[in-house]
Amino acid sequence: MNCEWVKANITLYSYDELTDDARIELEQHVQRCDDCATELKSVQEFRGQMSALPRLEPSPSFLAASRMRLQEALETTEQERGWRRLFFDPTAWLRQMKFSPALATVLLMLGFAGGGLTAYQMGRNSGTSGAGVIRPISGNVTPATAPDAMSIAGIRTITQDPNSNKVEIKFDSLQPQTVEGNLNDARIQQLLLYAARNNTNSGLRQDSIDLLTQRPDDAAIREALVSALRYDTNPGVRIKSLEALGPYVKNDVTVRDAMIEAVLHDSNPGVRAEALHELQPVKADTSVHMALQYLADKDKDTFIRRQSRNMLNTMPEID
Amino acid sequence: MLGQRQGRIDDTALIRQAQQGDRAAFEELVRQYDQAVLRLAMNLTGSPDDAQDIYQDAFLKAYRSLGNFRFECSFYTWIYRIVTNLCLDHLRKRQVRKEDAPVTTDSDGEEFNVLDQVADARPTHHPERDLLRRELGTKIGAALEKLTVRERMVFELKHYQGLKLRTIGEILNTTEETAKNTLFRATQKLRQALAEMR
Repeated sequence: MNCEWVKANITLYSYDELTDDARIELEQHVQRCDDCATELKSVQEFRGQMSALPRLEPSPSFLAASRMRLQEALETTEQERGWRRLFFDPTAWLRQMKFSPALATVLLMLGFAGGGLTAYQMGRNSGTSGAGVIRPISGNVTPATAPDAMSIAGIRTITQDPNSNKVEIKFDSLQPQTVEGNLNDARIQQLLLYAARNNTNSGLRQDSIDLLTQRPDDAAIREALVSALRYDTNPGVRIKSLEALGPYVKNDVTVRDAMIEAVLHDSNPGVRAEALHELQPVKADTSVHMALQYLADKDKDTFIRRQSRNMLNTMPEID
Repeated sequence: MLGQRQGRIDDTALIRQAQQGDRAAFEELVRQYDQAVLRLAMNLTGSPDDAQDIYQDAFLKAYRSLGNFRFECSFYTWIYRIVTNLCLDHLRKRQVRKEDAPVTTDSDGEEFNVLDQVADARPTHHPERDLLRRELGTKIGAALEKLTVRERMVFELKHYQGLKLRTIGEILNTTEETAKNTLFRATQKLRQALAEMR
């Protein structure tokens, strides 16, 4: 074993990819050779340095949203049939032959039963219109179990009783439903989170954010608020989220980073001004300090520049 | 080891059910691997939106082609092969478009690397250390952009995902030896780039 071999394999050694024999030989060589010992130290330092890169981690809500999107796409996706299926498969054919009379009978019975049940349901709901797939909500139904997120087609209205913390949410699903409960109810929270992230109606998103802001201590809700601050297209929704997240800016680094992002990049001057205001309690954070310095020096908006300068003047010096 | 074997047995049963058209079985398979897939795509693209598109494409492709899965490798290797191919395509396109760094513009029209804005989840009470870490993070991001997409992929899978080079070779449809050489080239380039930035 010579120095050239060691230098060519030292990376593999540091990643534990050498065989036992090679590893032992390399370790013995490094003990005898100063040059190779320096090289090993340098490789180890490099590995340590590379670990300083911040890693992106999918949040539970992002993962859930990705899963839901995938599930929706799977509804309309067919599995490809392999080339074998193009050929005649005698066993499959025989199997089909054997069970086809029974299958036909079962299908016929199910058809009769389904038809009878539908006629019975239509008779009971004679006042309602048509037999659409998704019907408008007509009555008040309180399901016994939490609604399955996948079965929610959209949120229609959110109303809060002014004298209590009772909330009524009307939403469409394959079975139109209305659910009632107070804000601590997991079903209510689930629907509000759904409305905050998925609804196309910005007024509804604002309503749901408005209600969620009453419980920002809940981690999932706070995450939804951060997400709304970052990605919601409606400035009103983003301002509501900012206000609710305000008390957490000192202790929650995710909240703080979302606010810095808003103050630097938000397209709406009102949101930026509000984010700046919410960052006021933070006194000793380098990222905030750097952002304020940047805004004080370069921002086009006079108010933002002046406000950033004022805030910097009240902050302690950071070395 | 036992857990791994058990995992593979479970996978085999789920794959067979999914091949028969059982969507619930496929969704169970998705749940076992999708967090790792999303994390890999997020860290390679630097963009949650692009990562979500890759995640979606990867699992839809897997679902459509599941009938052709012949158990010649683990499902894990197979799904990683699909997702790494999609990521490689994405990175190549980005390189062609000369959007080397995942950058965005601020209200002043100046460019920011989005990775600089990523929250560091590690709790810290040392602002100066935090600043140095961020600066180093920016340098590392720039150094990583100097790698070819394949070197970037091998380095990500080895250094950050901790996979064995043999598995990386299987995922990338190449030999362990080629994966070793690619890792060596990647680390040499990165060390040189970081040294130049000092």
